[in-house]
Amino acid sequence: MRIFKRLKKFRKQILRVTALVFGVALLALLAWVFYLDQKITTQFEGRRWTLPAQVYAEPTELYVGSPFTADAIERELQRLGYRKVQELKDPGTYARQGAQVDLINRRFRFWDALQEPQKLSIVASARGIQSMRNGRGEDVPIFRLDPLLIGSIFPIHGEDRVVVAPEDVPPLLPVALKVVEDRKFDSHHGVDLGAIARAAIVNLRAGSIQQGGSTLTQQLVKSYFLDSRRTFGRKIEEAIMAVLLEIHFEKPDLMNAYINEIYLGQDGRRAIHGFGLASQFYFGKPVAELQLHEIALLVAIVRGPSYYDPRRHPQRARERRDLVLRLMTQHGVVDEEIARQAAQRPLGIVASATNAAGYYPAFLDLVRRTLRRDYRDEDLTEAGLRIFSTLNPFAQSQAERALATELERLEKARKQKSEKPLEGVVVVTTPQNGEVIAMVGGRQAGYEGFNRALDAKRSIGSLVKPVIYLAALESGRYHAASVVEDGPVEVKLSNNRTWRPQNISEEFYGPVPLVRALAQSLNLATVRLGLEVGLPEVVREFEKLGLEQPPPQLPSILLGAVDVSPFEVAQLYNAIANGGFNTKLRAVRAVVDQEGNPLKAFGLEVTPVADPAAVYQLNRMLVQVMERGTGRAARAYLPSGLVVAGKSGTSSDYRDSWFAGFSGSHLAVVWIGHDDNSPTGLTGSSGSLPVWSRVMSQLNTTSWSAPMPETLQETWFEFPTGLGARPGCGEELISMPIPKGTQLPVAPGCETGVFGEIGERAREWWRSIVR
Amino acid sequence: MTARSALTLSCAVLLLSACAGPRPYEPPTQPAPSEPPETVETQPGSPPTTVEPPQPLPPPAPREPVLSPASRALVDQAQAQLVSKNYAVAAGSIERALRIEPDNALLWIELAKVRAAEGNYAQAENLARKAISLSTHAPRAQARAWDVLGDVYRAQGKNNEARDAELKADSLLRR
Repeated sequence: MRIFKRLKKFRKQILRVTALVFGVALLALLAWVFYLDQKITTQFEGRRWTLPAQVYAEPTELYVGSPFTADAIERELQRLGYRKVQELKDPGTYARQGAQVDLINRRFRFWDALQEPQKLSIVASARGIQSMRNGRGEDVPIFRLDPLLIGSIFPIHGEDRVVVAPEDVPPLLPVALKVVEDRKFDSHHGVDLGAIARAAIVNLRAGSIQQGGSTLTQQLVKSYFLDSRRTFGRKIEEAIMAVLLEIHFEKPDLMNAYINEIYLGQDGRRAIHGFGLASQFYFGKPVAELQLHEIALLVAIVRGPSYYDPRRHPQRARERRDLVLRLMTQHGVVDEEIARQAAQRPLGIVASATNAAGYYPAFLDLVRRTLRRDYRDEDLTEAGLRIFSTLNPFAQSQAERALATELERLEKARKQKSEKPLEGVVVVTTPQNGEVIAMVGGRQAGYEGFNRALDAKRSIGSLVKPVIYLAALESGRYHAASVVEDGPVEVKLSNNRTWRPQNISEEFYGPVPLVRALAQSLNLATVRLGLEVGLPEVVREFEKLGLEQPPPQLPSILLGAVDVSPFEVAQLYNAIANGGFNTKLRAVRAVVDQEGNPLKAFGLEVTPVADPAAVYQLNRMLVQVMERGTGRAARAYLPSGLVVAGKSGTSSDYRDSWFAGFSGSHLAVVWIGHDDNSPTGLTGSSGSLPVWSRVMSQLNTTSWSAPMPETLQETWFEFPTGLGARPGCGEELISMPIPKGTQLPVAPGCETGVFGEIGERAREWWRSIVR
Repeated sequence: MTARSALTLSCAVLLLSACAGPRPYEPPTQPAPSEPPETVETQPGSPPTTVEPPQPLPPPAPREPVLSPASRALVDQAQAQLVSKNYAVAAGSIERALRIEPDNALLWIELAKVRAAEGNYAQAENLARKAISLSTHAPRAQARAWDVLGDVYRAQGKNNEARDAELKADSLLRR
């Protein structure tokens, strides 16, 4: 009683304190709500998402005469996620009847033009496309398909997405989301108390969290503003923000935000957000083209992207997908029969991005580095740029497969089984325009990490030889039949030591013509040639061909003690393959902003860097490498009659195995070695050449050929000796271009034709007169 | 006696095999390189054995290039884009054609013209040079490339170089 009395005495004070506490709390709450409101309006209303730049592969060009059979066109369309139908109606579908393929393309904004959907009828035979007509029966000379989206440049925290507009979303998707996740979405004010209560009861009974009562709005808040911690405070914050969001924004806006925001899967470091990207990630096609069973699967995944991962747990995913379909029929949003048919369909997931087609970290790395010169990191990861790249997904997958297959074979063939794994790189370009069409940065092409193609600076061995021979040819003092001595060489080095290089066979070959020294990769002849031409000239040749950091002027560079990345090798050889015209290798054709305005076009530029006649002679010699030299073994893989040019390279102690070579339309560089630079026991010919040949044989490439410059003439001589000869006389004849007016020493026994061909003709003419 | 046989006779009389003067390029599939002259034997040679037939090389591309229907359409498109001074896009159209026919000198000439119209004379010149190197045995195409080069020089006020290029073009057409 006394206590009560005391309290009564202090009642006023207690009330006052309580009021004060409540007042302060209320103020704090208001301030908090105001703060949250600010946060919502500034963050949500402004730029709603940071949009990683999207990178497209090169589009496939269809034209009369292009080497596509009807089967190949169909494969290409399937790769692009086109759906086969009986009757054409929608973009992204095709129909096939024997040699004829009809399609309706997707609307696509290329960097240089907008392509509206139209019907295209293609007739193709085994030799390629015979005719192409549009819906009005008019001939279409050339048509490009919408390109494959190959990836995006996402920020460090890994959030990747492709934002879709409401009109691109199939109407069934929001309907299914509401049925499964939030049935009161259209009427509640951000929080659904009934659902929370239901969930609480279910969870209490089960003794664990079985069901969430979160509305779509709450899920959106949680994903957009909050981290993943599950505390009571967070829940309150989430609820308040959900209510605030509902006050500020309309339901359709929130639904669209949800569709673009929600987390739907993981691909290594890359987090798949939004249905736009998820559709590409799981089905390889735009969200607009999703069918009922595919929509149901994505909605199923929402609840637990890792638990219901359709690649890792297909059974679970399928059960939940079918549950979604049943819920949809129960709530009358789809017809029972249609849902039943959808439940019959397989999951329809495209091969996993990380281990098959679809994700190209090495190439994307090159794209990123290219653009870093012109754009800030934030522009690339946030501004929604669209990047049109040069990647050819077919060439890329062939290169990946060739490398993986051959490395496995090489390891099986090794004597000691327990050695560390071999690593490898493949770079493929189209030399005339300098576009990089494929880049494999390591054995596991789908894994990000050390990009060997760009960053592994390795000794290139005999790959330097063509550079030395080009310097010799450009000096005007040498040609293919010029003889150099392959004998002991001693070079006094600056540190008073003497350098005595050796041939791989540790033999001496005596006097040999340049074409043979190059074809058989003779070290001593080459060192002698390089020293005669002069180290400064050799170094200058490297610079001219496009090597940014020229090697030091040391004699050892003549045997390839030059540390260069595979990409830099591709740059060097590209200038040679391109007839002495340098083109900076490109991975990007153009960049456009979010609205489609072109920001930058990386146009084709060429610079003449070497005498075309000298390059022509060198290339004819590099053809001989493949015909009779260290590249001979490629024949077994290549289509017969295909003319290719190339050079093998092996660094000291067999640490690096290289092959670089080209046809008329493709250049490929292959490197094989160990990351720790330990010996592999492989030469360029035994290691990298098979990979190179395999890649080339798959590329549908053309023979190397170039018009012979007028200053040169075809001349017969003996391949082993370089002595002049003619058909019917001489040993191992070879016909090579050498400068007009050059007089070759003649092989013994070949002197009979003293007057040459014209002399012979003159004699016949004289005889005919005399008679 | 024809001029040709007169030449042949004079060659025979002079006993000069070096007289086997310039001759057009022929693919080495037809084994007809000129006979090397007799000189002092400086290298020990091995006795002649059986001669292997020389490896054939593919015949050179057709002499005068023509545009495929696809390239024709893209060149027409580029010319229209050029009218509206949309240089990057016009160049893009030519580049599409070049991906199909990278050896076609006519396309390199078209690209040179786009760059010249844009005022990028350095590239226009380089691209014309590329066209010239690809049209060694196509005099009409090469004459066009020299003409473009001449225009590029003239636009820069390099009148001497321009005249040389034009003369070169004329001499090719007169052949």
